[in-house]
Amino acid sequence: MLSYVLILLVFNLGLRFVHREYPQVLGYAIDIRVDQLLAETNAKRQSLGLAPLELNTQLSEAAAAKAKNMFEKNYWAHTSPDGDTPWQFILGANYRYTLAGENLAKNFSDSHSLVEAWMASPTHKDNIIKPGYREMGFAVVNGILGGEETTLVVQMFGATEGLALVSSGELLAVSPKQPEIPEQSASEETPVLAQQQTGQAGRTTVLSENLTSVLKKPLLDMPTVTHNVVFVFVGILMGVLAVDALVVARRGTVRLSGHNIAHILFLCAILIALSSVPGGSLL
Amino acid sequence: MKSHAIHFAVLVGILVIGISAFLYAYGDRSMQLTVGILTSLAYLAWGIIHHALEKDLHWRIVLEYVLIAAIAVVLLMTIIS
Repeated sequence: MLSYVLILLVFNLGLRFVHREYPQVLGYAIDIRVDQLLAETNAKRQSLGLAPLELNTQLSEAAAAKAKNMFEKNYWAHTSPDGDTPWQFILGANYRYTLAGENLAKNFSDSHSLVEAWMASPTHKDNIIKPGYREMGFAVVNGILGGEETTLVVQMFGATEGLALVSSGELLAVSPKQPEIPEQSASEETPVLAQQQTGQAGRTTVLSENLTSVLKKPLLDMPTVTHNVVFVFVGILMGVLAVDALVVARRGTVRLSGHNIAHILFLCAILIALSSVPGGSLL
Repeated sequence: MKSHAIHFAVLVGILVIGISAFLYAYGDRSMQLTVGILTSLAYLAWGIIHHALEKDLHWRIVLEYVLIAAIAVVLLMTIIS
């Protein structure tokens, strides 16, 4: 049993090493485009009877600035280690909002699975189907985050309703309504990512200058390889446990051991949980 | 035999709660990893308590449950992180 744990650990560490050193061999196959994200997001809204959102240049600029900031300061969170909030990036792009929101994602393989994952997460879905939004912007950026090649997607929502009615003098006095941040704030992860900055100096943080799409096709797709190996491994382990239980029951062997049926039940639960994990991460 | 069935019903209950919490934390990988680790610890505790009540608890049995729980945690880390 100990050898199983060691094999898994070696596989885990080996996978990370190969991905880090040779991302063109073992990496994330990616095909994410802004036009697809826009169409998929609006299709979800329209299926619920909501008006589609328009692509806004300022919100896209804010999303691009946020993505670049995440790579440069090496963090994966709604708020930067320096305390910069999404709303500062939106205001920095001269978008005076009355309502705003942000969805983040990294390392998804395609636009469709990304939007499906957002819709499966209650807090991200809330942003996508919020009736108050009128516009949205996207940035899809490839770079180095936490020492690994990463594709970030930043989706920003906004509405400026009511502001057109006030004069420009009054505009500055308008206090933006507190935007609704997705509940799963990543502020707890920030210190860990901050520590990882050591050794990152000098490495290029942003690999793609095109902020509207990322297309990559490594020799081996990391999530596919990982899933296949893990599921084959658990299948073999469960098979060994089942055969062992059968042999012991047939021979009537008395021995001091745990219950194989319990182990199989537990591993089944783990397999069910693992099969639900999306390809990338959300925030 | 009846107590054996009750013990396994408790185990199934633990696993159903674990899977439900895991699915509820969809998209939040650190939360999913935490749920997975807690479920593995609950499984380890179940194994120890079950064998203690059956009066056949031995350090080798504890080690067996520890290793199965460890395999589960490493599997979760491989897929989630």
